[in-house]
Amino acid sequence: MLTIKNLHATVDGQEILKGLELEVPEGEVHAIMGPNGSGKSTLAHVLAGRPGYTVTAGSVHFKGRDLLALSPEERAREGVFLGFQYPVEIPGVNNVYLLKAAVNAARAHRGEPEVDAFEFLTLVREKMRLMRMDDSMLSRGVNEGFSGGEKKRNEILQMLVLEPSLAVLDETDSGLDIDALKIVAHGVNTLRAPNRSQLLVTHYQRLLEHIVPDAVHVLVKGRIVRSGDRTLALELEKRGYDWLIGEAA
Amino acid sequence: MNGAVLNRLKEEFGAVRAALPESVIGSARRGEALEALCAQGLPGTRDENWRYTDLRRLEQARFAPAQAQAAVLPPLPTAPEGYVRYVFLDGRLHTDADAPHGVVVRTARSQEPGSTPWRLEARLPEARLALLNETFATDAVSIDVAPGTQATGIELLFVASAAATEGASYPRVRLALGAGARVSVIERHLGRAEAHSLVNSAVHVDLAAAATLTHYRVQQLGAQAAWFDTLSAELAAEARYDLLAVGAGALSARSTVHARLSGRGAAMSLAAAALADGQQSLDLYALSEHIAPHTRTEQTFRGIASSRARAAFNGKVIVRETARGTDSRQSLRGLLDGTQCEIDLRPQLEIYTDEVRCSHGATAGKLDENMLFYLLSRGIAPEAAQHLLKWAFLEDVIAKIAPRDLRRQVETTLLGQMRDLDTLKELL
Repeated sequence: MLTIKNLHATVDGQEILKGLELEVPEGEVHAIMGPNGSGKSTLAHVLAGRPGYTVTAGSVHFKGRDLLALSPEERAREGVFLGFQYPVEIPGVNNVYLLKAAVNAARAHRGEPEVDAFEFLTLVREKMRLMRMDDSMLSRGVNEGFSGGEKKRNEILQMLVLEPSLAVLDETDSGLDIDALKIVAHGVNTLRAPNRSQLLVTHYQRLLEHIVPDAVHVLVKGRIVRSGDRTLALELEKRGYDWLIGEAA
Repeated sequence: MNGAVLNRLKEEFGAVRAALPESVIGSARRGEALEALCAQGLPGTRDENWRYTDLRRLEQARFAPAQAQAAVLPPLPTAPEGYVRYVFLDGRLHTDADAPHGVVVRTARSQEPGSTPWRLEARLPEARLALLNETFATDAVSIDVAPGTQATGIELLFVASAAATEGASYPRVRLALGAGARVSVIERHLGRAEAHSLVNSAVHVDLAAAATLTHYRVQQLGAQAAWFDTLSAELAAEARYDLLAVGAGALSARSTVHARLSGRGAAMSLAAAALADGQQSLDLYALSEHIAPHTRTEQTFRGIASSRARAAFNGKVIVRETARGTDSRQSLRGLLDGTQCEIDLRPQLEIYTDEVRCSHGATAGKLDENMLFYLLSRGIAPEAAQHLLKWAFLEDVIAKIAPRDLRRQVETTLLGQMRDLDTLKELL
């Protein structure tokens, strides 16, 4: 699904990713962990194509295609979804309108007709129940006045409706209380399927108590320094990152 | 040059004076108005409060009123539900209506000869273009709402049809609400798409104690038109005036709004949106004057300038010595969509007493990169994302338009202006 080779990327002229290698096979959920400033969020944004994040070397292939050659909106339409660490508030743009526009953009890209308005709303309501979101959210602006937890749930809601092939969730667990964390994890687990992959970027192990990853990678100073199964996350929880930072140096 | 224009103005007035209707404004009073205007001179770009106005059209104008046109109206928008409609063509009543219960509507047609014409508020600090209106007005609509009346809505539609070479049009409105009266008024200025019309409107609002007026003003004149406008308002105790102004049309537009809150506890909100594209210049000068204690005002402006256009809002709040306990807020925001456009925001506060709460914020900038990327990351095309954000920017104001039909019509006008009807039509 996703193959990253020798990825180097800079932000404001500073190199953040320094030769990152990663392989996420179809159907798997991988976690990227690492200390602050290790490049986790940079990786997420590079995958989504955010302006200002410059790839200076290496390659990223998504379903065998050169992902880096695509614009941000093309990546989204091809099935790459970025769950934001800090979802943006856009007052005046209705939540449902954005969702529908996003779904229709992907459908048009695949040569499919627009989604039926009634069926779409039914689908959204069903997913909202799953995310325990209030119906009032339907009529509100994108993330407008949402609490931190509501914003994160809204990200997962969008993911559930868009059904991406590859979801990259950037610290979706940060700032969530335990109940919200469970709801978010439930949403993520719902989307698990043989033809979908997910990349969870997280600082803490606690999300992985609810979403069992197929692999855990540790990112330090712009490179993956260790990969393992979920027990690696538990080890990090006990020992912290310092021992790996020592190794990376 | 100003002198040459004034001389021409006098000549034009002399030529048409006898033909101007006495029932609207007496000939003597017209002469006085012109004298006062000449004494002050026409506004120039050196005047601090006219810096952002495109005044060239005024210099080139033919001031005498356009002759009554053949009674052919361009297609009009459907009347919003619950509103009684009056249509004026080139400044003269075209389509009359039955006044709502408790409301008296007078025009030149209905006024008896010799009845006292009303005059605009004389205390306006900037009344020059209102004086011009007073000199040439060919009709005037005067609306009195009886005390305590909860009246049906009234829509005043001013259609500009004549080209500026044929003469100007002078819409003139007086709205007076008795104590405790409540009404909603829509005032729209529209015109033939291609007409180079010159429109100079003057509106006076007089609210008695505890009266409530909701006033929607929509300027959607043709792309070559020029609009100059003066609105004055006087608010008695506990009166409430909600003014919502949308500027989308005309090549150059300037509106001067002056509200005096002279009664204790009076409150006014002004919410304005401007969408300027091409070579358009849209300028709004708003003065809120707190005179009585515990008065409240709120000014909200959202302006977008694209291409080589300019959108300006000059918002001044004066708190007089007598106005303790005043609460005033200004929120002015401009959006630059291009490298050659211009946004001018000028929040000004003059406070002459203590115990007041005044806040103001003014920001102008480009589209928010974070918002833009968020939309792109959801698969929205860049151009559509930009349109969507521009749209959202104006929503702070547009969402306050309560009559659903009017709101839709305004939205459609703005979308048409954005030239992206297809992408955004689902928003409606």
